[in-house]
Amino acid sequence: MSAQESDGYYEVYWPRAPRQGKLKPLARRHETLAGKKIALLWDYLFRGDEVFDAIKEEFTKRFPEVTFVDWKEFGNTHGTDERKIVASLPERFKEMGVTAAISGMGC
Amino acid sequence: MLRASAVCEAAGVPSSTLVCEGFLPQATAVSMGLGLPNIPVAMVPGHTNVQSKDELRANVLRVTLDQVISNLTSTPAVAGERGEPEPQSIVFKGGYSEVNRFFYEQSWSDGLPIVPPTRARIDEFLRQVDLDPDHSIATLLPEQRAATIWSIAVNGVMAGCRPEYMPILVALVEALADPAYGVEHSGNSPGSDTLIILNGPITRDLGFNYTQGVLRDGFMPNTSIGRFWRLFLRNVAGFLLHKNDKGTFGNTWRVVMPENEDVLASIGWPTVGVDMGNPAGSNSVTIARYTGGNLLVSVSGDVYKDMLPYLADAVVRIISWQLMFCVGQGMGKLRPLVLLPPILAETMARAGVTKEKFKQYLFDHARLPASQFSRILRDWTQKPTWDLALEVKNGRIPEFFHESDDPDRLVPMVWRPEDYMVAVTGDPLRNNAYVFAHNGLRGYPVSALIRHYKGADTAAAAK
Repeated sequence: MSAQESDGYYEVYWPRAPRQGKLKPLARRHETLAGKKIALLWDYLFRGDEVFDAIKEEFTKRFPEVTFVDWKEFGNTHGTDERKIVASLPERFKEMGVTAAISGMGC
Repeated sequence: MLRASAVCEAAGVPSSTLVCEGFLPQATAVSMGLGLPNIPVAMVPGHTNVQSKDELRANVLRVTLDQVISNLTSTPAVAGERGEPEPQSIVFKGGYSEVNRFFYEQSWSDGLPIVPPTRARIDEFLRQVDLDPDHSIATLLPEQRAATIWSIAVNGVMAGCRPEYMPILVALVEALADPAYGVEHSGNSPGSDTLIILNGPITRDLGFNYTQGVLRDGFMPNTSIGRFWRLFLRNVAGFLLHKNDKGTFGNTWRVVMPENEDVLASIGWPTVGVDMGNPAGSNSVTIARYTGGNLLVSVSGDVYKDMLPYLADAVVRIISWQLMFCVGQGMGKLRPLVLLPPILAETMARAGVTKEKFKQYLFDHARLPASQFSRILRDWTQKPTWDLALEVKNGRIPEFFHESDDPDRLVPMVWRPEDYMVAVTGDPLRNNAYVFAHNGLRGYPVSALIRHYKGADTAAAAK
């Protein structure tokens, strides 16, 4: 490269910004799903209703007394009221005695 | 889905998130942003919407089911957090080519050369606003990074903006952080991109193009601020292709589109900024995401007999699956945008059409047979839970969507006439129009005042 085409010298800064969220622990897992009450959370997209039906059917065979709270109980977790519905989940889980959740569909 | 699962985990309820095969990298990236890098997901092979009922069931039972069980009964290994530079730290020293290569390798640039963000250049931007560089406008999803004034300046420099654009960049990030806009959806699969509509005297002061070719690159403020938008989404919000940005096809960023306010004033039509609630004459930005658009060539003839019907027909033709933001995923959240060039707006105004009347006309005449409306939502996009009659019965949508059982009855594309947005811009003397299809609640129109602009004199001095 000739002097006239000098590439210069630059000290440049990071274009990103610090993450504000810290690492959080996951909830404690269950030893068995027998007797557990599982919430089905759906974004009303990508055939989640059919996927849930298949999972429910097989879970019921494998785990005695497992029960489900249907997605209709919670509403669309990715629609107009997403924030409200998602924020209400802890309280609703307490009311219903929910002990696990399956959330779909990320497609 | 993962956001809902994160709330479950925080409440002490173990979760399993169902994710289609092609979305696993996005799930990994979103998980990190949620502070739960090891939140478990269960894969659904392929994509659900192209499988027969039997295929889908078999795939779920063969692959997904055991993963769901494992997600709820086994604790995943704790993932570590990768170290990052300190904010406001020098990350590289070298020549122009080396800087560009380094930024590209770090995924910090869009593939075009950047202007090296040096301290002197960043400081020039910071001097344009009376704000602490550490001040954070918001924490942006999905990566939960702080949208600091410093980070705005750095990305503005990189994009090739001039320092005097900084007040606009700050206003844009304020709009981006508006929860109604929904920044977290910026990487969804329709691949929509944001259109920035600029209003106010700042348009003239800073030399924006607001006439012929307004949507084309070629004018520094329009182009560089459009590029800033995408760089900021990349570097601060955290949307990268093959990670958090799952646009199926995607678009290149759009240049800033100002309105022609001289013409709007002459015909007595309000600007988009005023429609969005800003004071007349104020400088503002309005943002919304659009899946695409189409040109309507040679809008001609009689205003009422020809022009208005042609425009209403174009609106119907450009909107398809987006109806899900009218009824369904979004309720009353569809906001189509029509661009009129000055010559058409002036012709319509001379015929007594106000902007309000034009919106009412579109509401009344841009309509679909109800059977087609339902077919798009229920059959073609496979959302079996949607039914206009049921939605009306449950009081969730306006009654005009089901005034009878006649499948040929016409229903509107939006809930209210004012849901239509109309901008006047482009070639002053050509009678083409343009219609943008809107991405609904995943990029809902929001507006912000450009509060830190110090006026034309300061801008001129900076030049």
